[in-house]
Amino acid sequence: MGNRILQKEKGSDGRTRVFFWCLLLLLFLFALMLTNLCIGSVDIPFARVMCILTGTPWFGSGWDNDFVSTVIWKIRFPRAVAAVFLGGALALSGYLLQTFFHNPIAGPFVLGISSGAKLCVALTMILMARYMLVLPSAVLILAAFLGAMISMGFVLLLSMRVERMSLLIVAGIMIGYICSAITDFVVTFAEDAQIVNLHNWTRGSFSGMNAENDMVIMLLTVLCFLGILFLAKPISAYQLGEEYASSLGVNVRGLRVCLILLSSLLAAVVTAYAGPVSFVGIAVPQLVKQLVRTARPLALIPMCFLGGAIFCLGCDLIARCVFAPTELSISTVTAVFGAPVVIAVMLRRQKERL
Amino acid sequence: MNTEIIFTAKNIAAGYKDKRILEGFSFTAEAGELLILMGPNGAGKSTVLKTITGRLPLQAGEMLLQGRDLQRMSADEKAKSIGAFFPGRITTEHMSCREMVEMGRYPYTGHFGVLGKADKSAVDEAMELTDVSSLADKDLMQLSDGQRQRVLLARAICQEPKLLVLDEPTTYLDVRYQLEFLALLRKLCRERGIAAVLSVHEVELAYRAADRLLCIKDGRMEAFGKPEEVLKDDLLQKLFDINPSRLHEEGHTELEQYAATLGRRG
Repeated sequence: MGNRILQKEKGSDGRTRVFFWCLLLLLFLFALMLTNLCIGSVDIPFARVMCILTGTPWFGSGWDNDFVSTVIWKIRFPRAVAAVFLGGALALSGYLLQTFFHNPIAGPFVLGISSGAKLCVALTMILMARYMLVLPSAVLILAAFLGAMISMGFVLLLSMRVERMSLLIVAGIMIGYICSAITDFVVTFAEDAQIVNLHNWTRGSFSGMNAENDMVIMLLTVLCFLGILFLAKPISAYQLGEEYASSLGVNVRGLRVCLILLSSLLAAVVTAYAGPVSFVGIAVPQLVKQLVRTARPLALIPMCFLGGAIFCLGCDLIARCVFAPTELSISTVTAVFGAPVVIAVMLRRQKERL
Repeated sequence: MNTEIIFTAKNIAAGYKDKRILEGFSFTAEAGELLILMGPNGAGKSTVLKTITGRLPLQAGEMLLQGRDLQRMSADEKAKSIGAFFPGRITTEHMSCREMVEMGRYPYTGHFGVLGKADKSAVDEAMELTDVSSLADKDLMQLSDGQRQRVLLARAICQEPKLLVLDEPTTYLDVRYQLEFLALLRKLCRERGIAAVLSVHEVELAYRAADRLLCIKDGRMEAFGKPEEVLKDDLLQKLFDINPSRLHEEGHTELEQYAATLGRRG
């Protein structure tokens, strides 16, 4: 059935096709969200989750009402919301970086931007631990943004000297390793009290979110999303390369600055709250492009956001549940699903070139 | 035929910051004509074209587009009047031919780049003119080089430029497609009153396709005019530092030698 719909629309400009996929992904995201609320260390039946979400009283059997309500509203719901928005942010960041570098395997993690943000946040945490144990969101995000920009600066410097795009990725991975090494070094020599919060966070996880965190995450991500949407037109021309873009009237320098700031900010938000999350930024935009087969940013931007949200929500579910009560780090799961996508993309590119 | 002068270069000089590459270029391009730049590698053909498209700063002189100073035009105005073709293969991801052609409407669409009815019909028309309508839904990367150049030409046409600037548009093409491409370009320029300024590598091709030739060597204009007036043996010698008669002899013997070695092996 779905196939027939797609066939019919092939002749048109594909707008219906994109719309169809958007709707499908939205439905899927919604279903996954509910699943995330139901499943966990305590399984809550679907009907009961619905009751709590809609605020209607529950007269069936099971756990105490206050307890279930706390599990959903204080733990699972904030965590799922964070996974949705941070996942979307990662995918968008990856999409922008892939556009910027004209490189299908660019992403915030491989280019070392996430690791730079991680390093800066870790340093800030250790230095500030003397004064306060839990850092305010603004400080975390600023530190992460600073780190992301420093790494980005190095990547940009290298990109001016490196001709081949694969080398840029290698350079990015090396920057990532250097940042991780320094982070490990600092953590090793820090006092235990200073790194209580740090240990879990450096592994990457969506756990421990609260409503306040969610508000900041949503605000920043939505603002960036809107900003990117407003850049959809120049991004479309930028895909043809700088020369063509500027001949079409694009202010290339301005666009490049916007792309860097937005992608770094998105990566920084994710790293500040969830730590480094690997492969979402590369894999999701690639999967989405494969799905809708278009180069129109106006279609790809919302699709990337939805795709990233679904990917992270799904991976978080697996991280929480498969080896419960032990929780996996989110990167463990995203890497398992994301890395093969990257390999597939590289193989396909290789084939195309022959 | 319309003979309105579209583009005028008056004694222009250009180059990179500390190095001047061209000097003293004065020429015009008329509506409907192909002006071909010719000369050895590194003579400055690309530099001339880059200066016109604004990729390199003008260091002296003046460039006029339909009588207006090009330096004073906004990026948007320039985009509406100059279409460009850059050297090298273009690489895209999942971009269909139609999406590529639609890019030509960029200067005319609104903030989100959504195409209106007029834009869509301009795209359709451009694709028909270049005979790529049947390729509309194909991925640009799956086309042959010849087809891809035609799609890029459709993109340039639906940008509705007055001036087309093409840097080595025939480099990756076989001889047959080179001729085909230049014939198509010529037809489109004639029909729409566009002036085309382009660089072509092959002397023979340039001679055949050009309405006027601009011969360049070491950043200077060697000659400018109709091909049959400009292209004499001594000019070729001067341009490429060769002796045509000797080249012929040597080339001949070299070929024979090569054939002989092949024969021996076979």
